[in-house]
Amino acid sequence: MTHLRADLHIHTVLSPCADLRMSPRRVVDEARRAGLALIAIADHNAAANGLYVRSIAQGNPAVLLGMEIQSQEEVEVLALFDDERACLTLEEELYRDLPDVDCDPDLFGDQVVVDEQDNIVRTVRKLLLSPVPWGLADVVERVAELGGWSLPAHVDRIHGGLLGVLGLLPEGNWPEVAELSPWTTVEEAVERWPALGGLPLLRASDAHFPHEIGRAWSELRVTAPTVAELRAAAQGTGDRSMRPGPPCKEGR
Amino acid sequence: MTVAEVSEHLSLEVLAEGDLNAPVRSGYCSDLLSDVLAHAGGGDVWITHQRHMNVVAVAKLREVAAVVIVHGASPNEQVVERARSEGVSLLMSDENAFQVAGKLYQLLGG
Repeated sequence: MTHLRADLHIHTVLSPCADLRMSPRRVVDEARRAGLALIAIADHNAAANGLYVRSIAQGNPAVLLGMEIQSQEEVEVLALFDDERACLTLEEELYRDLPDVDCDPDLFGDQVVVDEQDNIVRTVRKLLLSPVPWGLADVVERVAELGGWSLPAHVDRIHGGLLGVLGLLPEGNWPEVAELSPWTTVEEAVERWPALGGLPLLRASDAHFPHEIGRAWSELRVTAPTVAELRAAAQGTGDRSMRPGPPCKEGR
Repeated sequence: MTVAEVSEHLSLEVLAEGDLNAPVRSGYCSDLLSDVLAHAGGGDVWITHQRHMNVVAVAKLREVAAVVIVHGASPNEQVVERARSEGVSLLMSDENAFQVAGKLYQLLGG
């Protein structure tokens, strides 16, 4: 069992709203600087740069692939995968169904896939900031079918947060865990949204700029940096545990 | 003005019938259910694009007179079924939120 610091929500240059300096190489450098043993790459409705981050990092830090998927309801869902093929399959399905709206880089920013040497591999045409026409339940189900794990991103945020958008937790067994915004204390979140009481919480940076990587994190006790271990940690199985790190002190 | 009269005047499709004789007090437009929970009033016609299951729960909690889902966005059958069983009037319009809200505003005398 190892104790590790994890930042499970990091954007790269593939997200139009993220800084152009967020190349896979820079993300790895900053994650090492921040002392992170595990990170997850979660661009908006896209996953391709995660592969390059993983290839550069060579296990230091460990890298999960992922996406921040925006459902039809405009709820933002963090989807995490061990398996590259599964994550890319979902990326392809989402891209096929995304509204056919071009990304104007002057208005929204660039959406680029960048390799290990900071070369641009390709530019993504459709705007990734649109919601996919999939209901939240369908997003959750498809992620699970492909062996991934999904949870509501920045659950306490009004725009894009599960509770802000849907008011109440949905019926059923999802979510198993929720991500807090970098700045919100657990007490503030539970006071505003009593439904969060009793739900395991994690915290992540939602970094869009290099210096933001590791500004917020979670402390994990797991046997390996895998999705299955994260789930077990959320449930507190064995000696495993997951707890949110302290809220970020820097400005929003 | 009742839900039935509003439905008639705005040419709405009735997906689930709650109390169609319920009086309509006013209207509320929002796609953020947390905002509706905090601010919609009893007797409002709630105009929204949302068609998630939670719409039924929120409509019930706020005791709105009816929900109008706009722009022809059909909710799935489970949502319609739940609205029926909970007695929530769920209506649909092919028009957009601006058109529906504008007509309702006029109908209710501003």
